[in-house]
Amino acid sequence: MKLEKWLHSSMKIEMTDGRTLVGSFVCTDRDNNIILGSCTEHLRPDEDGREEEPRVLGLAMIPGRHIVSICIDEASQPPQPPTSMYT
Amino acid sequence: MAASSTDTSLERNDFTPSISGARPTTSGINFQLSTMPPRPEVTYNWINITSEFFHATKDLQLGELLHDDIFGLFEAMSAIEMMDPKMDAGMMCNRGKKVLNFDQAVKAGALKLNNLTMEELVGIMDSMLACLVTWLEGHSAAQTILTCLYLHKPLSIEDRALRAFSIQTLKLIAIINNIVHSAGVFEEEDFQPALYGYGVCSEVSEVRAGGMMREVEEELQRAVKATRNRQGEPWDPKMQKQHEDAVALFSRIRFMRLFYAALAAIMRREQVSIPEAERCLVSCNELVCIMQNTIGRGLRPKQPKDEEGNKVDYPVIMGFEPLVNQRLLPPTFPRYTRLRTRKEAMNYLEEMVGRLRHITKITHCTTFHTALEFIEHFSESRPCVLSRSLAQVLYLGGDKLWGGQGMAEALREAARSFICPPALLPKAPAKDYVDSFFNRCVRPFEQLIQTCGHNRARQRDKVAHLLEEFAMLQDEADKVDAYLHNVLLKSDQPRPHLAYLGTWVLYHTLRLMIKYLLTGFTLELYAVHEYHYVYWYLYEFVYVWLVSALSRADAMLLEQDGYDTNKGGKSGRSSKNKNRNKKKHRPYGKEITYNQALQHLCGGYYKAMLGLREAGKVKLPLQEFDSEQVRYEHRFLPFSVVMTPPPVHYDQFLSMTDLSNFPQPVSPATLYHDARNHFFKARSLLETIHAHNTEVQQLLKVVKTNFVVMKLLEGGHKADDPTRPQFDFTTHPCFPIIKI
Repeated sequence: MKLEKWLHSSMKIEMTDGRTLVGSFVCTDRDNNIILGSCTEHLRPDEDGREEEPRVLGLAMIPGRHIVSICIDEASQPPQPPTSMYT
Repeated sequence: MAASSTDTSLERNDFTPSISGARPTTSGINFQLSTMPPRPEVTYNWINITSEFFHATKDLQLGELLHDDIFGLFEAMSAIEMMDPKMDAGMMCNRGKKVLNFDQAVKAGALKLNNLTMEELVGIMDSMLACLVTWLEGHSAAQTILTCLYLHKPLSIEDRALRAFSIQTLKLIAIINNIVHSAGVFEEEDFQPALYGYGVCSEVSEVRAGGMMREVEEELQRAVKATRNRQGEPWDPKMQKQHEDAVALFSRIRFMRLFYAALAAIMRREQVSIPEAERCLVSCNELVCIMQNTIGRGLRPKQPKDEEGNKVDYPVIMGFEPLVNQRLLPPTFPRYTRLRTRKEAMNYLEEMVGRLRHITKITHCTTFHTALEFIEHFSESRPCVLSRSLAQVLYLGGDKLWGGQGMAEALREAARSFICPPALLPKAPAKDYVDSFFNRCVRPFEQLIQTCGHNRARQRDKVAHLLEEFAMLQDEADKVDAYLHNVLLKSDQPRPHLAYLGTWVLYHTLRLMIKYLLTGFTLELYAVHEYHYVYWYLYEFVYVWLVSALSRADAMLLEQDGYDTNKGGKSGRSSKNKNRNKKKHRPYGKEITYNQALQHLCGGYYKAMLGLREAGKVKLPLQEFDSEQVRYEHRFLPFSVVMTPPPVHYDQFLSMTDLSNFPQPVSPATLYHDARNHFFKARSLLETIHAHNTEVQQLLKVVKTNFVVMKLLEGGHKADDPTRPQFDFTTHPCFPIIKI
């Protein structure tokens, strides 16, 4: 199944308010609510093209209704699931 | 905090992709973190799978989670929810207007660096003070004082008054952090020291900062004088306004400088610096009054318009950006900090100046016992973290106590004046042995002082730990006493040495036990159906032990007096005179009477509670969900480590309080009668204490009222009324007035 194949891959999610979250895909459900582990938050760069430092969030759940687009990192193999906890 | 430690562990995890400096949406670009030391570069090859993903999830059942074996619902529950206003701190920054930092605000013309009006200056300073006060009340600096953009780059400010004030504010933040840190009596709910990487303007020395303030002050003083009303001439309204503005600004600048100077002087801990600090604080007190009266001269924020959509629940003026640090906060953090109003802040500062003036009086405490009592009393007024910390630093700070004495030396004197152990007399043998005992005492007694510096709720926990320390110390004291007893009996002037040091330590242990049990009332921890065994324990054991420890100390001191007098001229004239004065009354007479009164007071409550229980007027927990034994053991758990006095177990409690032990059958009325007698005894004991302080007055009011209530109950008043009695703690926090 496709979804299982994507587990633990790096995933990038753009949200309705313009922020982008990058983390490893660990969980989803029928309503497209997605949980990313070791997640970082990136702001949309300002007019001058400068971007602020990403902010570390840890484990984050993105409700399906706020998801604009989902990207998966195809180049890298899904890393082995970490043995530690996700947070 | 847990959240921040999680963050650092995450950063070490090479699982985390590191991205910065480029748009994450562009694929195939090498990202690297600019500010961090070298980290493995991560290359992404993003492939859009949005529709594919949405399609795939349709195969999942309702409520089914797709995850691997080690990720479960439990982990899922701990995720923070994005776009939820309560959990997602980053969300607010993306609403409405752009959040500008210092440079951006200057560029956009939203931040004036020069030519500020008087109205703006006073308004900005008052807002800064309001932020400062909110920070001191335990909120994060990032959400309070550091929301002021002027404090981010004070050296860029051209206006001299505002620059000096901003730098002085940063210096004040630094010294407050230093004070609170060195005292170490704060918890996360009291104080947040983190400054999130903002500097405190270390380019400017403290002396220079004070100098800048003074220059501005003198300038303003000239302005104040120049615009004064001349006698016999009408005051030009324009001149009058200038005058009043200058006074308002002058008072703020001067207050800030003197307040800092007072803190710095106290921190120097020198004999001359305390009067200096007191002088500064007296002036601060006058200045706060002027500031309070001139709040209206400051710029006020416009009422926020709803359509602006900036979800901050307080309006702001130029120079303040509530969300500027939002992204510096850990993911889970209180979203809003309600700032104090300017008026509240001024009142807070006024009270704080008063508290600081009070704590400088600790320098008048010359003995350990008086200092301990001072700090305990001060703690009862629930002081702020800064004044609590300053009291600690002033007394305990450094290697020596205030006055230059070492702790071991102070304790030796405390023990000598408490019970006068023969081993502490000049030329007593086994000096090394005694010395090492007092060195051993240093740590627990330091902790005792520190405990009283913590906030009231935390003190109870700390007392429980201290009891362990004191139990060990008690053991040691008993051994030292036994050893000294043997040595002294064999010396030239044979004297017994029984339980001298032991009694001194016991006295402190008992006071800790009382503190532990009574703070349960002030913190409202006990249910009404628990009152009877708490008061019973105090009445049957703790106060009895305390009275006996004090009586023993009393007897020992008198005996020592007699010993000195018999020795005749040997002890010298001065001490002889002192002893003669002492002999007139028992040294602990008052304290013994006071504690006996409290013992009877507790006895009264115990009997009253039993009576009320028998009469069915106390709400009891449902039997199947309750175990009185568990509650009892939990309430007295910290006492189980103490050997003297030995802990009283639940079965002992049951057998001692079993009503069937009484010779005659017991009715509620007989219990009320007993309670009445106890209250009566407490009253007559309290009335013999001549120095009527407020606490004795409060207690007298309590016992008198309870006496009458017991009399009414005994007479059958409201016997058939099923309403339960009320316990009113407003008169005294530990001893309620019973209301029927």
